[in-house]
Amino acid sequence: MIPILSVLLLLPIAASGPAYLILRRDRKAGQWFTMAVTSVVLVLALYVFYYVYSGSAGLVSSGIGQYALSEQYSWVSISSFGVNYLVGVDGLSSPLVLATALLTLFAVIGSRTLIDRSEPSYYALILLFEGAIIGVFVSLNLVLFYLFWDLVMLPMFFLIGLWGGDRRKYSAMKFMIFIFTGSMILLLALMAAYLGVNPTTFDIPSLAGRIPASIQYLPLLASFIGFGIKLPVFPLHSWLPDAYTQAPAPVTVLLAGVQSAMGGYGLIRISIGLFPQASHQWALAFMAVGLVTMFYGAFVAILSKDLKSMFAYTSIAGMGFVVFGAFASVASGSALGMEGSILEMFVHAFTAGSLFMLAGYIQKGMGTTEISALKGLRNVIPRAGTFLVFACAGAMALPPFGSFVAEVLVIVGGIDATPYAAVAILVPVIIGGYMLWMIRKVVLSPAEVNSAGSDLKGLDFGVLVLYLVPLIVMMFFSVLVLGPAAPVVQHILQLVVR
Amino acid sequence: MDYILASVIILSAAALGAPLLQFLGRRVKLGAYVSITAVAASIVLIAANTATGVTSTGFGSLLVSDPLGDLFALVVLCVTLAVAVASLYTSPGGPSLSSYYSLLTFSALGMLLLSYSADLLMLFVAWELMSLPTYVLAGFDKKRAESNEAAAKYAILGALSSAIILYAISLTYGVTGTTQISGVVAKIASESFNPLVSVAIILFIVGFGFKMSIVPFHMWVPDAYEGAPPAVATLFASATKKAGFVAAIRVVLAVATVYVLAPNSVFTLANVFAVLAVVTMTLGNVAALTQKSMTRLLAYSSIAQAGYILVGFAIFAYSQQTGLYTYNAVLGMTGSLFHIVNHAIMKGAAFLAATLVLIQLKRSDLDIYNGLAKRMPITAFTLAISFLALGGIPPLSGFWSKLLLFLSVINTPLAWVAVAAILNSAFSLGYYFWVIKRMYLDQGESTERVNEPSGFVVIFAVLVGLMIGIGLFPQQFIAFAHAAATSLFT
Repeated sequence: MIPILSVLLLLPIAASGPAYLILRRDRKAGQWFTMAVTSVVLVLALYVFYYVYSGSAGLVSSGIGQYALSEQYSWVSISSFGVNYLVGVDGLSSPLVLATALLTLFAVIGSRTLIDRSEPSYYALILLFEGAIIGVFVSLNLVLFYLFWDLVMLPMFFLIGLWGGDRRKYSAMKFMIFIFTGSMILLLALMAAYLGVNPTTFDIPSLAGRIPASIQYLPLLASFIGFGIKLPVFPLHSWLPDAYTQAPAPVTVLLAGVQSAMGGYGLIRISIGLFPQASHQWALAFMAVGLVTMFYGAFVAILSKDLKSMFAYTSIAGMGFVVFGAFASVASGSALGMEGSILEMFVHAFTAGSLFMLAGYIQKGMGTTEISALKGLRNVIPRAGTFLVFACAGAMALPPFGSFVAEVLVIVGGIDATPYAAVAILVPVIIGGYMLWMIRKVVLSPAEVNSAGSDLKGLDFGVLVLYLVPLIVMMFFSVLVLGPAAPVVQHILQLVVR
Repeated sequence: MDYILASVIILSAAALGAPLLQFLGRRVKLGAYVSITAVAASIVLIAANTATGVTSTGFGSLLVSDPLGDLFALVVLCVTLAVAVASLYTSPGGPSLSSYYSLLTFSALGMLLLSYSADLLMLFVAWELMSLPTYVLAGFDKKRAESNEAAAKYAILGALSSAIILYAISLTYGVTGTTQISGVVAKIASESFNPLVSVAIILFIVGFGFKMSIVPFHMWVPDAYEGAPPAVATLFASATKKAGFVAAIRVVLAVATVYVLAPNSVFTLANVFAVLAVVTMTLGNVAALTQKSMTRLLAYSSIAQAGYILVGFAIFAYSQQTGLYTYNAVLGMTGSLFHIVNHAIMKGAAFLAATLVLIQLKRSDLDIYNGLAKRMPITAFTLAISFLALGGIPPLSGFWSKLLLFLSVINTPLAWVAVAAILNSAFSLGYYFWVIKRMYLDQGESTERVNEPSGFVVIFAVLVGLMIGIGLFPQQFIAFAHAAATSLFT
């Protein structure tokens, strides 16, 4: 049998070298090669997604624990210390793998028009990033997880620092310092988990539910900080506005779309999955952190003078929903909130992705993303303007976009935990408020005389349509994500209640 | 043991013969090639000795051949080989090149003997054989004032440390009546607390501490590294420093198995090592952040790394004095030994990269590193990988040893050491990435390609290959370090 997950994560990493060489010889051929590789990854990710989906519909799930397609090899083994190469997927990771594969392909397509220097290294780094991030989602061993977790930030450092805007060096360093500090703190939690069980192990399936409750609290806090920086949650977010606004648009798509989902994934898989009793104790506090993050993101976004910055804070608010929903389930024991969180991570990849991609096109077409300088996009660049309206509708959780389902689930899940959570309903309202205000000023206002810009063409136009497809699909067939996620959430909640 | 004997003879012959060769013919570099061949041959011999896997004693009982000695001997010889090859391009001392190589080979011989020493006198003789040539090597650029200053400073402090070690040996002999280390340990075990033994142990730590460059015995390090010919600085950071560690393991940790230093629970060897570890890594990292010259930055980073290595010593001493946490102690010593191997590779790579920059661009301040990725891409890549490895980023070699070290203390009463070490690691990435940012993101004075000699490129390729290779497939290396570590537990 083909080790499909290993192929999935190693293919982009292995292809980054050839992509670099081909791009050095021939720009076009290299871009097509990169697109071909990411397409193959997408096909594999679709297969994995389908495999998990069909398995969750009552069919047998093979492999270790509740994980499908798992592979296990001994990596390091001495008498007192062992690390396995252990990968596998379940209903939590398979949608995120799919989102990663989709967004990377979209980002690569978008990069053709938006990136115009040092392309060989750029595409090689994007491929490296894709492999690493898939590695994070499929690793079931804490050391392997940490390896990919750190590997993600290296290409990102260079992608921001070399291809970013005017303040790219500052943003890249800030990104690096925050993320690396977070990952060192996270390492404390992972090591504590390893030593917390007897016999010691780094394998997530053998750790889940076996760490004594008394030693869960500090590791939980450490892992929450580590994942919280990546998500980010307030007040650990200050690297984000710089990184998101300075990175080139396709890179921001990946940052906002999938890198932040790493944080949410880690929170559910590791913080809650390995330290369930402590999570239960502190669930309301973490819900509060999520709620504050939602309101903080939404309020600061109102003040933004720039489209990218507005979208960045909107994205912070979106990730607040993930924290809020996940811990709402932990507090109440009902599956709704966490199901909503998982769906929210999936749809947020596409809402945030489409917004930042559009910001990139507007930057290119109009020369600026400043809200006060943009007028009458409806007439100047009608296609981009129209898409901006759709993408904003997705971000403010308007039906028929899947974000509506996700946010309803999260808020209902929150109310299950505590009635005060109903206040969260205000967040989409605030987001809707400033998004509509922005659309009125930017898209619907009369254009200034003589203003001209270049609109979307060809493949770029097509890709933006593709961003919206998963969002609409998730409105009507949210069972595609929620179905496979249900047994995972059940399993985690069983650990919490026990 | 026969293999060790053979390599001792080969190294001695090369060291004595190299200076004579310059009178034979016109080829100035003949002595250099002889030395390099001798060092390479002894690496093969020591590897053969490792493969036998037999623990034996030799020269009466002056030497002991065990995995610990093999590990250190291989590390110091490989570093010496890299330094020797790199020195071909720096041509230190011009016509006296043969003397340079002779001194280098003598120092390697000293380190080899030190790795296998089982007797305090043998250890001291080896220590001097290692140290004396390096005092001359530090001042080999005799026309450069900094080089002279480095040599003077290093020689004075080196002599002081030798004197302290000798005094400690004499105290130990006075108390136990033997210089055989196993005899000393047995004798101390059979007797009750004796303040003279504690004094001797402290003096040993101080004496070895100079070479290990632990705070507060580190003052000579930045000056000596900066003033010495650049390739020699590599030798200091990656080889003679490791010799300090093997001496400390052979003597102090051996005594730590039976002796607690003080009749109370505060002033124990474990706490001494723990405090030294935290102070060393913190001061090294903080000082490194403020440096403006690459050599000094690397010197302080090297001090900080000594702090990480001491973490394993601390948990070892702790488990020996309490009888608990043996599992952690095995992990910790495995981590320490593995980190010593890794550090030799990582720091060797970083120092050699800095050496090449100094040779080609004649400067070592950090500004010359701006835009280096365009001017010297291979050198910049090597430096970047070695910095990432030093920072403990997976999947590079440094990650594994740091993981083992942190794991070993985190669930013990010494957990604060792990927290300090983790914060230090995060902090150190600040200045490592600062340099990477300079090399890759900043604009340099020019973008013209600078020649990177093929000898250096080969060494860089091997070292980068090792850092990535060990990171991806650490099994054999961890197992080797584990074997060496378990041999410490009696």
